Amino acid sequence: MIDSMRTVVQALEDAAESVHTGFRFIEEAKTSEPFFTYSDVERVTARYGGAMQAMGLKKGDRIALILPNNQDFVFAFLGALRAGIVPVPIYPPAGLRRLGGYLENTLHIVRKSGARVVLTDGTIRRLLGTVQSGATDLQRIQAIEPIRSSRERLEPEKISLDDTCFLQFTSGSTSAPKGVIISHRNIASNVRRFMEEGLEVEAGVDSGVSWLPLYHDMGLIGFVLGPLYYRNTLTYLPPMLFLKRPVRWLETISRLRATISFGPNFAYALCEKRVRDADIERLDLSTWRAAGCGAEPIRASDLRAFADRFAPAGFDHRAMLPCYGMAEATLAISFPRLGEGVRTDTVGAEDLAAELKANAAQPGSGGAIEVVNCGKTFEDHEVAVFDPKDEASEHPLPDRVVGELRFRGPSVTSGYFDEPELTKQAFAGDWLRTGDMGYIIDGDIFICGRQKELIIVNGRNYYPQDLEWEASSIDGVRKGNVIAFGTRRPLDDRERVVVVFETSLTDRDARAAVKNAVGKAVRQATGLSIDDVVDLDAGVLPKTSSGKLRRNETRRLYETGELFERTSARQGDAIGIAKEIVKSQIGYARDALFIKK
Amino acid sequence: MSWTHDEVVKEVRYVVAEHAEPEADITERSELVADLGIDSLSVMEIVAELEDRFEMTIDESELPNGATLGDVVAAIETRLEAGDKLKETASV
Repeated sequence: MIDSMRTVVQALEDAAESVHTGFRFIEEAKTSEPFFTYSDVERVTARYGGAMQAMGLKKGDRIALILPNNQDFVFAFLGALRAGIVPVPIYPPAGLRRLGGYLENTLHIVRKSGARVVLTDGTIRRLLGTVQSGATDLQRIQAIEPIRSSRERLEPEKISLDDTCFLQFTSGSTSAPKGVIISHRNIASNVRRFMEEGLEVEAGVDSGVSWLPLYHDMGLIGFVLGPLYYRNTLTYLPPMLFLKRPVRWLETISRLRATISFGPNFAYALCEKRVRDADIERLDLSTWRAAGCGAEPIRASDLRAFADRFAPAGFDHRAMLPCYGMAEATLAISFPRLGEGVRTDTVGAEDLAAELKANAAQPGSGGAIEVVNCGKTFEDHEVAVFDPKDEASEHPLPDRVVGELRFRGPSVTSGYFDEPELTKQAFAGDWLRTGDMGYIIDGDIFICGRQKELIIVNGRNYYPQDLEWEASSIDGVRKGNVIAFGTRRPLDDRERVVVVFETSLTDRDARAAVKNAVGKAVRQATGLSIDDVVDLDAGVLPKTSSGKLRRNETRRLYETGELFERTSARQGDAIGIAKEIVKSQIGYARDALFIKK
Repeated sequence: MSWTHDEVVKEVRYVVAEHAEPEADITERSELVADLGIDSLSVMEIVAELEDRFEMTIDESELPNGATLGDVVAAIETRLEAGDKLKETASV
């Protein structure tokens, strides 16, 4: 058994013994696939760390990383850690129209983190002028290109488990991005649990494939740091390549006989839709024993459809692993048992709404909804459900009662960087408030939705996701681009229920018909009377940088009337995490083209 | 093989039409996302199909977010010309 209670730096130095396993980087336009053994990684990252020290950075200083290329990112991130410098990953810019918003966001993160250096590529560097002038602690914006060939020596630093490893800025749906402080101890604790208990990884033997963006916790911790501790080989694809040709993800797993790969719900849905039968015939997915799903709400039907479609390629539906986690928990909170596939609980929507009770119901019966089982939490970690108003976490609620999920254990962050008030609010007693509503059955965790976004009508609670799901089923509605919320004006006697959807239809009559159908479907499914149904053009709904629906922001825009004035062109169309990635990749180069002129 | 402008337009229209709203009026000035109801993920699918048809890799930076059908045609023609020049140089 490998001792996993080590810093990332120690893990990397230990892994350097390995001359067979390491990181492989696939790039779209290149046929070669550079492979770096952990021994190589140790040597290369020492040079990157040395280059950062040569810039005058010292242990504890922050360096912001805006690096769309996977190889650059991995080496720079690990290089910084070796020098004790704290990396702050930032997603790459997102399109000319939203450049203003992007720069504002980036400036906020650079300022808030007190980063002294921003490390980026030459193209993005040209866009960051306002960031340079707006952040007082920032000394330089450094292009990565000369660093790649740097020969600076690393001056060893003593790094301990309680040192800060990096800051993970999360884009909350309600507030400006906050920097979650992740220590080496957090990483070591979480990695040990999800690698050993969650995935039962065989050190040096299992191998993974990932196209996930590395500025996000699932890609970074799950598919860079986890494998590093256990010396497993990882192969990276650019997120863009996956979006263009989803089959490349599966081909890579097939060709390299990989055993572990994760994606958000949409990735499985995209493969199901886009991969051709002829391609499936060429795939062998029989080695893929852990097909994880996380980072966004999980629909059992999407995962099942994927499993059915790829069964002829040897995909085992039992490999499906619907997981639960968040940045404040480092990464993983719960994993189902390996080999059980997607398990769900069918409950009565009526009881859920009226009494916050998840009472078992007959699948397929009227008003029954299916909730995905996200498994149990890990050893020396605990999850319990509390009334959101239980400020000290004194009275855990019994099984099948819905409340706020709370988490504690060594994986939990100490708080947000330089945000004492937000940090205080994030905890109830010594439990982390996840902000997610859910329930537990025999330790298994079921997620219903975000607590702040509950729609409450006449004392009854409705989850917006359920209304949105119903609306999404109507032809003409852009799937996944529906937001439901409750709103209450001063003179209203009750909360009004609003469903907003995007449509690509332009014909007035056709749109009116879709509006009617949406109202009817949601009414029939929930028994709620819908006060307003709003149709919007494609790309108008607000999303977070990672593509999550911004319900509270949509409500605000609705209440002020701004929602009706928005156009797709003005706002850009951040639709889904995938599309945000697309934009972030296609956008910056285009911006560069325009700005140069 | 070499392509005339009309042939390129025809191919692009054909691929785009498969992803556009059935009633959509497709012109060279149509924006893929805003006018034709094509979401960003489908834009990626279109790019992949065009790459196969024209046997090239289209760099994403050549396809802006608000890309029109004409932008797509231009990006492909730039690529085709570059390829032709390469061939000319090689044959000299």
